[in-house]
Amino acid sequence: MAELYVKPGNPERGWNDPPQFSYGLQRQRAAAADPKAAGAKRGPLTRRAAAAGDEARPPPPPPSPPPHGPESALSSPAPPAFPPKSAGLPPSTLPDPPLKTNALEAEEECGVEDVLSPLNEALDHCRESARKQVCDDISKRLVTLEQMWTQGRLSAPVRRGMRILTEELKCQHWDAADEIHRSLMVDHINEVSQWMVGVKRLIAETRKSPTVDLALEEQEVGTQLEPEHQRLGPGTLPAI
Amino acid sequence: MATYLEFIQQNEERDGVRFSWNVWPSSRLEATRMVVPLACLLTPLKERLDLPPVQYEPVLCSRPTCKTVLNPLCQVDYRAKLWACNFCFQRNQFPPAYAGISETNQPAELMPQFSTIEYIVQRGPQTPLIFLYVVDTCLEEEDLQALKESLQMSLSLLPPDALVGLITFGRMVQVHELSCEGISKSYVFRGTKDLTAKQIQDMLGLTRPAAPVQQGRPFQPHEQPLVSSRFLQPIHKIDMNLTDLLGELQRDPWPVIQGNRPLRSTGVALSIAVGLLEGTFPNTGARIMLFTGGPPTQGPGMVVGDELKTPIRSWHDIEKDNARFMKKAMKHYETLANRTAANGHCIDIYACALDQTGLLEMKCCANLTGGHMVMGDSFNTSLFKQTFQRVFSKDLSGEFRMAFGATLEVKTSRELKIAGAIGPCISLNAKGPCVSENELGVGGTCQWKICSLDPTMTLAIYFEVVNQHNAPIPQGGRGAVQFVTHYQHSSMQRRIRVTTVARNWADAQSQLQHIEAAFDQEAAAVLMARLGVYRAESEEGPDVLRWLDRQLIRLCQKFGQYNKDDPNSFRLSDSFSLYPQFMFHLRRSPFLQVFNNSPDESSYYRHNFARQDLTQSLIMIQPILYSYSFYGPPEPVLLDSSSILADRILLMDTFFQLVIYLGETIAQWRKAGYQDMPEYENFKHLLQAPLDDAQEILQTRFPMPRYINTEHGGSQARFLLSKVNPSQTHNSLYAWGQESGAPILTDDVSLQVFMDHLKKLAVSSAS
Repeated sequence: MAELYVKPGNPERGWNDPPQFSYGLQRQRAAAADPKAAGAKRGPLTRRAAAAGDEARPPPPPPSPPPHGPESALSSPAPPAFPPKSAGLPPSTLPDPPLKTNALEAEEECGVEDVLSPLNEALDHCRESARKQVCDDISKRLVTLEQMWTQGRLSAPVRRGMRILTEELKCQHWDAADEIHRSLMVDHINEVSQWMVGVKRLIAETRKSPTVDLALEEQEVGTQLEPEHQRLGPGTLPAI
Repeated sequence: MATYLEFIQQNEERDGVRFSWNVWPSSRLEATRMVVPLACLLTPLKERLDLPPVQYEPVLCSRPTCKTVLNPLCQVDYRAKLWACNFCFQRNQFPPAYAGISETNQPAELMPQFSTIEYIVQRGPQTPLIFLYVVDTCLEEEDLQALKESLQMSLSLLPPDALVGLITFGRMVQVHELSCEGISKSYVFRGTKDLTAKQIQDMLGLTRPAAPVQQGRPFQPHEQPLVSSRFLQPIHKIDMNLTDLLGELQRDPWPVIQGNRPLRSTGVALSIAVGLLEGTFPNTGARIMLFTGGPPTQGPGMVVGDELKTPIRSWHDIEKDNARFMKKAMKHYETLANRTAANGHCIDIYACALDQTGLLEMKCCANLTGGHMVMGDSFNTSLFKQTFQRVFSKDLSGEFRMAFGATLEVKTSRELKIAGAIGPCISLNAKGPCVSENELGVGGTCQWKICSLDPTMTLAIYFEVVNQHNAPIPQGGRGAVQFVTHYQHSSMQRRIRVTTVARNWADAQSQLQHIEAAFDQEAAAVLMARLGVYRAESEEGPDVLRWLDRQLIRLCQKFGQYNKDDPNSFRLSDSFSLYPQFMFHLRRSPFLQVFNNSPDESSYYRHNFARQDLTQSLIMIQPILYSYSFYGPPEPVLLDSSSILADRILLMDTFFQLVIYLGETIAQWRKAGYQDMPEYENFKHLLQAPLDDAQEILQTRFPMPRYINTEHGGSQARFLLSKVNPSQTHNSLYAWGQESGAPILTDDVSLQVFMDHLKKLAVSSAS
C-alpha cells in the first residue's frame, strides 16, 4: 500500500530545500540499491570526464573572429529558433519517469466503522492480557482517531492506509501492519501523530497476546481481501 | 593499466580498502621520496551482503603481543595441525575444533576469498541500544511543531526494544521522567552551572554506582544487571506517553527581551545527557541526539552573549582573536566529547537555524564520537526531515545501518609501522611494536575507538615503511596489514570484522615503474586531502595550501617525465594524470578555503569530508558535472567554464549541493513552452532527464543535499560558476561570441595557469 510520490520541499523555510520522497519510495530505493552494483559501477553519475590532453587542459577554443560590436557580442550567437523536433530517442538515462501516486484514485470510500470496529475488537482481545492502563490509553487514541475521521480531518491516503492496516491486522500480518503504520507516520505525521501510537501499540499487544481466535473472521476477511489486493495491483503491497 | 584499475576496484569491493600505493617501496628512504605517504582508506563495515557472518570465535596467534587473527595469508601445516602467523611467524597449534582440517576441508578464514570475514561472538549480556533526545525549545512555533512531529515519527523507526530518554532545554534544563502512568515529572536544572557526573547522578537519584571506565578495554561487558532508570525506558513500554509528552512540548516560557537572543543552555543540557548515560550505561551503544535551533547563550559552553547587537563570531573575529567565548566553549565541548567517547557513546548534532548555531565550538562532540552533524535552515524542511529519517535507515536484510562501540586495531608486517588515522575516532593509546614515532593524524597507537559508525564511514590510515635502505626485502616478498574491528551490531550482537590484505614490495630504484603503475591517484588525492584538512583544523591554517603545493611539485618532480628547464616537455603517466587537477580543486574547496563560509559551515563541510568513502570524498573535492543535450546520451564533462554551453543542461553534484543549470538556449526554449507541445516531446524528455538523475542521488545521499534549479543568468548559477575551472574569464575576452563556454568573472587562477606554473617549478633545476 505504501505510497510512491515525490513532493517539493519547503522553500519558504529552507533555502534550496530538496524534494521530499515518500516512505514507500525510499524503501523501494533502498531495496533496489544493490550495493554490489553500486560499488562496481559506482552508480551512473560518478564518472568523470577524462582529462583532455596529458594534463587536463581542455581543448583550446577554436580561432574566433574578432568580436563584433557590443550589441552583437551580447546577442550572439543567435540561438536556434526551435529545439529539434522529436525524432530520435529521448536522451534520458532512466528508462521510466518517476513513479507518481498511484492506486489512490481507484479507492472507494470506506467508513470509519470499517476501520474502528476491527481495531476495537482487537483491543477487547488485548484487555485479557494487557494492563488496563495500556488498554485505556489505546482506547483514548482510538477515540481521537474516530473524532478526526468523522470531522473530515484525515486525508484519503491516511483513511485508505488505515483500512489496509486493519485488514492486515485481522489477518495477523503483524509485520505488514507495522510497516503501514510506519509509512503513515513518516508520510502523514501531522495527521496521525496524536493517535497512531495507539494503533502501533495495539499491533504490538495483539502480536504478543496468545493467538486470538480470529480464525473465523480471518476466513471472511480473506475472501473479502482478495479482490481488494488485486485491485491495488503489484507493487502496492508493503515491502516487508 | 586496466588490470590495475580492476585490481583496485576488486579490493575495494571485497575488503573496503584503497591504498595510495599498491606496490610498496621497500625502504624507508625510498618511501619518503614517493611524496604521497603509504596509506589507505578503510571502510571498516563496508556493506557485504554476500558475506554471511560466521558463528564462531576467531582463532588468534598465541604470542601475547601479536594476537593476529588466523587468515588466508598464514602458512598452514595440515598434517601437524599447525599454522604460522604471517606477522610474527609464531607457530600455533590449531584449537581442537579444527582437528578435521585438511587441504580440501578448510575453514572459511583460510580461503583466499575470505580476506574479509565477520565473526559473531557472544560475550556478556546483550544491552539494548539507547537513544537520548536532547531538545532545544527556544524555537519558533513552526519549527518546534515540525521538530516535535519528526521526533514522534522517529519513535516508530527505532528498534522496538531500544531505550529512550528525553531532555529539553531553554533557559533551564529539564530531564523528563518517563513512566507509563499519566503524570509526567521532570527534574529541572539551572542552565548556568556545570555539574559533575557525580552531582548529576546524585541529583537524579541514580542509585547505581558509576562503573569505572576501563581504558583500552572498551568492549568489556559489564557484569552488573541493567538498572532500569526512570529516565531511560524501553520504547515499547512508554511510546504512548512519550508521544504525548513530545506533543505537549511548549516553547521555552521564559520571556525574551526585544533585541536579545533567548537564553539557551546547550552546554549544560549536553553535560547532563552525557552524565546520565555515563552513570547508567557505560560501554553500551547509545546515541545522544541534540536538536538545536540557535547558539548556546548562557552557562558553560556559551558561544555568544544574548544581546543581538553582538553578532556571533566570524572568521574575521577569529583571525583577529576577537571571539570572546570560542576557546572556553570549545574546551567545554571537547571535554564532554572525550568523556562521551570514553563511555562508548556518540553525540549527533542536528542544528537548524538561519544564523550560526555554534557548530564550530561543538564540532568535537560529533567528530570524536562518530556522531552525525546536520546543518539546515529550519526543522520544517525536507532537508532536515529526510536526513533525520535516514539516520534510521535499514539495509536489505532489514538491519539498521548503524553500529556502535567499535574498536579498530591495525597490525602490520615488521617492515611497516602505523603513523596514525584520520576519521571520526579517538586514540586508545595502545602502544605496540607496530606503532611509529612519526605521527600522521591521530597517532601513537595501533587501536582507535569509533563510538558510532555506519557502512560507509571511512577512515584514513597512514603507514610508515621502516625497512632500512641497506636491508632490502627479498624479491617477491609481500607486506601485510590486518584490520580487526570489534563492534556492536544494531541487532545487539557483538561482532568482529577481520580484513587481511597484502601488497608486493618493490625496489624503488630498479622497479620504479611498477610502483608508479600501481599508484591509486584517487585514493592518494583523498588521503592527502584528509591530511590537509586535518592540518588546517589543528595547527597550520593557511600554511596548508603551501604544504599541499610543495607536495604536488615534489610528486611531479619525482614522477613526471621532462627535460630539465623545459616546461613544454613535461608529461605525467596515466596513473598520475588526474592528480594535479584534484589538488587544484582541493585548493579551491570549502575544506581549505574559509572565504565565503561561516565558521559553522566550514566545520560542517570538514566534518562530512573526514568520514565519507572514496567516491563521495572525490565528489567533494572535485564536483561531478554531467551534460545533457540533443547530441547524445548524458555524458560527464570537464568541470570547466568551457562546458557551460547554451544548448546544454548541466547537472553538478558537489555532495552538499545538486545544481541543475539550463544553458541560455535551453532556458529560452523552456520559456517559450516548447516542452508542452506534442511535436517537441523530446525537449520535454531532455528537461526531465537531469531531474530524474538528480532524484537518484537525492534518494540515497546522507545528509540530504540542497537542490538548486537554475538557468543561464540566474542568480543561483553562481553555485556552478564558482566551482568550474575559470578557463575563460573577463580578461580573456577573445572567446566572447563563440560557442566555447561562459566567461567567469574572477581573479582566481585557472587550471591552465596552475598547470603551467606547476610544470615550470617541477622541471626547474633550481628547486
